[in-house]
Amino acid sequence: MDKDQLLKYSMLDFFQNDSKSVLDPPADFEEWYSHPLVSFGFKFAGQPMLSAPSTITKIQSAVDDQARRIINLTSYNYLGLSTHPEVIQAAKEALDKYGTGSSGSPMVSGTLDLHVEFARRLAEFKQKEDCLLYSSGFGGNLGALQGILRKGDCIVIDEKGHRSMIDGGLISGAKMYFFKHNDMASLEQTLEKCKGKRTLVCVEGVYSMDGDLVKLPEVVALCDRYGVQLYLDEAHSTLMFGENGRGVGEHFHLEHKVGMTFGTLSKSFGGVGGFICSNARIIRYLRGYSSPWNFSCAIAPSTVAGLMKALEVATRDSTLRDKLQANTAYMRKHILDMGLDIGKSESQVMPIIIGPDSKLLYELAAGIQQRGLFLQPVTFPAVPAETGRFRMSISAQLTQADMDEALNIIKDVIVPAVKK
Amino acid sequence: MTKQEVIDVIKKNIVENLDDIKAEDIDPMKSMADYGANSLDIIEVVSCTMRELNIKIPRAELADIKNIDQLADRFVQNMNQSPQA
Repeated sequence: MDKDQLLKYSMLDFFQNDSKSVLDPPADFEEWYSHPLVSFGFKFAGQPMLSAPSTITKIQSAVDDQARRIINLTSYNYLGLSTHPEVIQAAKEALDKYGTGSSGSPMVSGTLDLHVEFARRLAEFKQKEDCLLYSSGFGGNLGALQGILRKGDCIVIDEKGHRSMIDGGLISGAKMYFFKHNDMASLEQTLEKCKGKRTLVCVEGVYSMDGDLVKLPEVVALCDRYGVQLYLDEAHSTLMFGENGRGVGEHFHLEHKVGMTFGTLSKSFGGVGGFICSNARIIRYLRGYSSPWNFSCAIAPSTVAGLMKALEVATRDSTLRDKLQANTAYMRKHILDMGLDIGKSESQVMPIIIGPDSKLLYELAAGIQQRGLFLQPVTFPAVPAETGRFRMSISAQLTQADMDEALNIIKDVIVPAVKK
Repeated sequence: MTKQEVIDVIKKNIVENLDDIKAEDIDPMKSMADYGANSLDIIEVVSCTMRELNIKIPRAELADIKNIDQLADRFVQNMNQSPQA
């Protein structure tokens, strides 16, 4: 491989592997990885935090291997619930009662009364008939789609949809189509190709790299016109959007048009896991066919108890989501005032788009971290090559002082480099 | 290798990776998406073709290519520059 070209490569360039043993990575991958900037990128992504992933925490920095206090705008602890005292207390009590593990898949023996009650409450919250809990968010999306789609069906995914939806579609054997992001003409053209087939359209409430919202009214209108079903991934919107925090479906007053709704339990909920809500008949059917549910151990009981309390705390009033919206508005205003590019963000997911120069991106990541701000760079193929970025996750936990300090660091380090 | 031969390799890989399509029906001035390829299919076709041509071009540099003809041009350009192992 041309050494000068090494930094132009990405993980997308080493999928094919011609090494003799399947336990050897491709030789050119090793060469690429050995470039100091590439190996730094991997190391930067794996920096261990030394305390809870709150907005103020400590990190073992990849820049100089020092333990450093940082303002953390990378973790998706949007409502700060993972360290909420009531949530921690509920988890502790469940730990004392149930121990550390569920010790079985939900299909066999892993279902505890806690799981049944939490699933009931989630279904009630999402205004659907029933709910299935998964031990990971990825498994939830994958398991739902793999479980309900079959060869001969069509799955139509927004091109910016999450990998878990793509993998679910791949495993199902359904014919997979992608439509251009939030582009209704492209969706319509795709639905034309699926005419006469069982079809599921998959969109996200808030898109994870850009923070923009799905054009749900238009998507629903097309789904209605073509008589197809709608799957809505609310990973980055549940507990945060809508009058009662039910998500982007509620925000647009279109929950009744969503056939199946998905959420993670690792983001605003502050734990880990995923869930889907839909009609009782398809949930019953999925219990027989959704592999990540059938064959993964159920969520740990202490986690479920914490999650159940998190749901209660986040929905008993609008305090947390109001604070999140206020913090998001404050950060957006000041980032825009600096002349930085946040793309089409409409939510607490707010990119700062730097451009195609990944070397610059990592230099800036190191620079802001040395000043006490942790932002993770995102590069191709996760985002288009020309739009390398930092992805900020705004949290309700941020204080005014935290935000002002973070903004000062951005102003001192990122702004001059971008404007150069 | 001529451009036409490169196009033939691309066509062969399209046929191998997509359902219900014949090489003679593929117009190089169209994109693979026009023949029903999704982004994962396109990655596979491009990977297989580059492997067969013994070239390696960063994917980030192929993002703006609009059709099969342009892809063939880019491959030929690379082959003429520096054959690589």
